[in-house]
Amino acid sequence: MHVIVATDGSRQSLAAAKHLKSFADPTKVTAVSVVAVVRPLASVAFADDLSEGRLDGTFRDAAQSAVDTIAAVFEGWGPKVNKRIRSGSAANEIIKAAKQYDAGLVVVAAGGRGLSDSVLVGSTAQRVQHYAPCPVLVVRPAPRKRK
Amino acid sequence: MRIDKSSLTRNGRRMTDTATNAHLDDEDSELKRSITGRLLFFYTLGDVLGSGIYVLIGLVAAAVGGAFWIAFALGVTVAAITGSAYAELVTKYPRAAGASLYVNKAFGNRPLTFLVTVSFLAASMAASGSLAVGFASYFSEVWSAPPALLVSLVFVALLVVVNFIGITESVWMNMLMTFVEVAGLLIVMLIGIIHVAQGDADFGVLTRIDVSGDYGSPALAVLAGISFSFFAMTGFENTANVAEETIDPYKAFPRSLVGGMVVAGLVYVLVSMAAALTVPTETLATSDAALLEVVKQGILPFSTDFMATLFSVIALIAITNTTLVTIVTQPRVLYGMAREDVVPGVFAKIHPVRRSPWVGLIFSGAVVGSLLVIGTLVTEAGGGIDLVGRLATVTVVLLLAIYAIVIVACLRLRGRDEDHPFFRANTPLLFLGLVGNLAILYFTIYDDPTSLLWCAGLLGVGLVLFLAEYFFGSKGTGSKAPDLDDVKGV
Repeated sequence: MHVIVATDGSRQSLAAAKHLKSFADPTKVTAVSVVAVVRPLASVAFADDLSEGRLDGTFRDAAQSAVDTIAAVFEGWGPKVNKRIRSGSAANEIIKAAKQYDAGLVVVAAGGRGLSDSVLVGSTAQRVQHYAPCPVLVVRPAPRKRK
Repeated sequence: MRIDKSSLTRNGRRMTDTATNAHLDDEDSELKRSITGRLLFFYTLGDVLGSGIYVLIGLVAAAVGGAFWIAFALGVTVAAITGSAYAELVTKYPRAAGASLYVNKAFGNRPLTFLVTVSFLAASMAASGSLAVGFASYFSEVWSAPPALLVSLVFVALLVVVNFIGITESVWMNMLMTFVEVAGLLIVMLIGIIHVAQGDADFGVLTRIDVSGDYGSPALAVLAGISFSFFAMTGFENTANVAEETIDPYKAFPRSLVGGMVVAGLVYVLVSMAAALTVPTETLATSDAALLEVVKQGILPFSTDFMATLFSVIALIAITNTTLVTIVTQPRVLYGMAREDVVPGVFAKIHPVRRSPWVGLIFSGAVVGSLLVIGTLVTEAGGGIDLVGRLATVTVVLLLAIYAIVIVACLRLRGRDEDHPFFRANTPLLFLGLVGNLAILYFTIYDDPTSLLWCAGLLGVGLVLFLAEYFFGSKGTGSKAPDLDDVKGV
């Protein structure tokens, strides 16, 4: 089974990748494709919260380092790891990638909890869930611990 | 970047990864870009066309007289030459940073780079303000009840929200809006053609330069016209935003950017001729929504009210399209500066769900909003300013300075980083463009020295942010290594 792990450079997407690794059987997974989507017309085409570094005007580098960080999670796990950077609208490109690679599972992170998630419909995770050609694992953030 | 040390020992695994990497470089880095030359062309056209002709044509007509098309033709020529410098630099350094990057590469002087970046930000904010006021004038033609200030403030607030949600990212929406924009100008041209065909046109108007006004000589009157119309030529610099994601930038940029400018120039000249032929210059000069006057002449066989409403809606869409691009750019600039620790780190904050730089967006919206409020207060206090014109002038002053510096940077970077194919702009033309930009800049400041106060005020915002980071900011908020150990899988 080919698994697509999508990253938007958020910590939550790293958690999603780790979550997949925590339960999935590496012998059943043939390949993992880590996919990042650069959004050319967005204010910030790609924000990488996962690695150090300045933004030297290239969002592609930011996407690359996010993909590298996520791919490092699966290093030595077993399945072959592909790194993919695409360009366009995030949900569309993830769905296209899923079709193209004949994926058996797409792993995405659901950004946050709360008002913004329920009021502003149409987030990437939601659209992927609705239109992906395969099962989708949406990893939600753990509820905040009260201190 | 963290490297998992344990993985490096597993040779077999590592080999496969290297193999995939090589494969990845061939396939993904080149093929998966999404902006085609055609999209880039429409992006340029949409960005340039909306910013001004709908808003400023009256001012230009007032300065020059019937021959104001000359001002548009000369202005767009200077802008297109500047565009060719941008095309050269973009193909040399295909990154999303624009002028700041080029200046940094050419001069390596941090204060200068900071000044250029802040000027660009300020220009963009003033442009949004001017466009928002223009939006309000056309809006009052559709529904005149709400006060103009309220309309422009709500307009800016809505665009901030739209940007936050990410609707602006739709390439197709962008293209559709550009088509509507062009359609509006085609209506004006069509009216002009019908008017000429009916034999009512007095072509003498097209050569009439008004020397009775503030500008005694024809040359000065035209220069004034170029200075006022130049706002309509700006916007092309924003195409650097999508440089990285453009397929085959070496071919696409010169063609789409310069081509877009040439088409925009042609449209401007024809539209100004149509407007001059159909409407008395005095009427154009005193109108807030001057192109609407053309439609109101009743030359097309439709009810004037219907046409006026339709045309207002088209103008509103055109202005919205251009304002959106400027409002997308501002938080991006702030984000880049925050990552470099030049402004407070909050501007690098990205919303967890929307992945938008929400602090930067709200801040930009707030600055533009304050510009509108201050401008309206000054006007009402008898400051005797025309807010659209004033903010447009501020934009033009800042951008002309940036354009001139970019041309110098382009010339200075000749012979450097030329190991890959890039577009080479015509050198004599670049010198001509430099002189043109400086001449318009000089005249604009000479004609309206108080605009410098507004420029200084906006640049002050950048300075305040810099000082805030310098004195209170913690080092490395933007680019420190994040602690990922707390990211748990389950």
